Amino acid sequence: MKQKLLVVDDEENLREFYRLELEEEGYSVDTAANAGDVLNKLDAGRYDAIILDIQMPGMPGIDLLQRIVTRDRQQPVILNTSYASYQENFLAWQADAYVVKSSDTGELKQAIRKVLTGQI
Amino acid sequence: MNPASANVLTMIMAGGRGERLYPLTRDVAKPAVTIAGCYRIIDFTLSNCFNSGMRQVYLLTQYSNVTMNRHMRLAWEPIFRVEQDEFIESLPPQHRSGEDWYHGTADSLYQNINVLQRHRPGNVLVLSGDHVYRMNYVGMIDFHVGNGAELTIAAVKIERARACEFGVMGTDPDGRVRDFVEKPENPPACPGNPEMSLCSMGVYVFSTTKLVRELIRDAKDRHSSHDFGKNIIPSLIERGDRVFAYPFRDENTGSSGYWRDIGTIDSYFACNFDLAAPQPAIDIYDRRWPIRTCVHPYPPARIVGTPGGSTRRGEAVDSLISPGCAISGARVELSVLSPEVRIHSGADVSQCVLMEGVEVGHGVALRKTIVCPGVRIPDGKRIGMDNRADRARYTVTRGGVTAVPSEYAW
Repeated sequence: MKQKLLVVDDEENLREFYRLELEEEGYSVDTAANAGDVLNKLDAGRYDAIILDIQMPGMPGIDLLQRIVTRDRQQPVILNTSYASYQENFLAWQADAYVVKSSDTGELKQAIRKVLTGQI
Repeated sequence: MNPASANVLTMIMAGGRGERLYPLTRDVAKPAVTIAGCYRIIDFTLSNCFNSGMRQVYLLTQYSNVTMNRHMRLAWEPIFRVEQDEFIESLPPQHRSGEDWYHGTADSLYQNINVLQRHRPGNVLVLSGDHVYRMNYVGMIDFHVGNGAELTIAAVKIERARACEFGVMGTDPDGRVRDFVEKPENPPACPGNPEMSLCSMGVYVFSTTKLVRELIRDAKDRHSSHDFGKNIIPSLIERGDRVFAYPFRDENTGSSGYWRDIGTIDSYFACNFDLAAPQPAIDIYDRRWPIRTCVHPYPPARIVGTPGGSTRRGEAVDSLISPGCAISGARVELSVLSPEVRIHSGADVSQCVLMEGVEVGHGVALRKTIVCPGVRIPDGKRIGMDNRADRARYTVTRGGVTAVPSEYAW
């Protein structure tokens, strides 16, 4: 069975870009545009990993991360952010990995593989 | 204060229910139980903090109660100076991490990572609210920083027979901890001293970043019991992190310092007498290291003969007698009396701990007994003379201490 990912980003173009890139890798990819959407989807079931944009309108990604781990401390999350903003906030460390947001998805794909295989 | 000590946030774990201390904890949280007459157990740790200059203090509380809150408000909050960024504040579970209460010592800190984020201290001093000892934490923090340690554990030598109640460590000659086992059945001995084991006092200095990473890693582990002794410390050692043992010594004598974990009624009882002894384990009269508390403005304690001209003397020997007490024509020895205890004529009290407002009737005989706040012992009662008979009526410990609960129905 395909592993399920949830890509969270407020920009529709990016959501689609990530969805296509990651489906090519053989994952089943769901997307969400905002915090409410994410929490509704989590009500319906668990994901093998969530890729979370840290800058989102409404609820900042860090707060959403907190809500996600509050529901399920074992839920793997990968933050799409800069090193500096990841490093300076202890709450961000609750994510399993971070990647620098980029059009080159190599780093993201590698992080997903590591998280899914328990190497992180 | 040196820079290393200035950049320290103190977190005191004060959330235990204290079930093994029942009936002493029937109405108050364990750290708020009265000890040595007019102190609360937590006054010792808080005095250490205050006297060491650790004045950014959070109390991780769980079972909030009126007595504890009032004590913090009256005794401690006024002496921390807000204008100098000093504070002492309680942190009950904020349910930021779910609807859970605190599950284990490590979890209580994990649920407050946002607090660590807000302060971003260089190091975190983690203490327990139910230990009695006198310690200047600055020496330990300097030791921690000087060793480049990620975790430093204050260590005390304890007889092997008792060490099974604690976390026991094995160290290199330089103090680096190589083994740590929580409550071992067969505690390993100290090198060169087969009678003693090196035990953790539950006093830790963590580098903040290492602490946060470990708390998060531990929180994700569904098999963990989220406990410093059982999970966090063994995991750090296993992964080769720099963990050191800080030898706890008395500030004045240089010998191994006095430290007591108030985990049971027997340890509570013993600790009272350690403090009341003619040569006390901790000198509570030492003005260089005052143990602070808040005592209401009671009148002085008084000890008098029986009113009406009888020849029966009132006397108290080798005892701590708090303000507001009255001993009338009765004998008290080797005992600890909290404020407003009344002892009537003909009573004979020996090796007892009498808490606030206890009244001992005429002709009562008490031996090796703890009486909880407000109890009025009827005239002529005899308690502590016959453990078998007492077991039917009161709590009697393995060590033979009888405890009479508050609101006892005679």
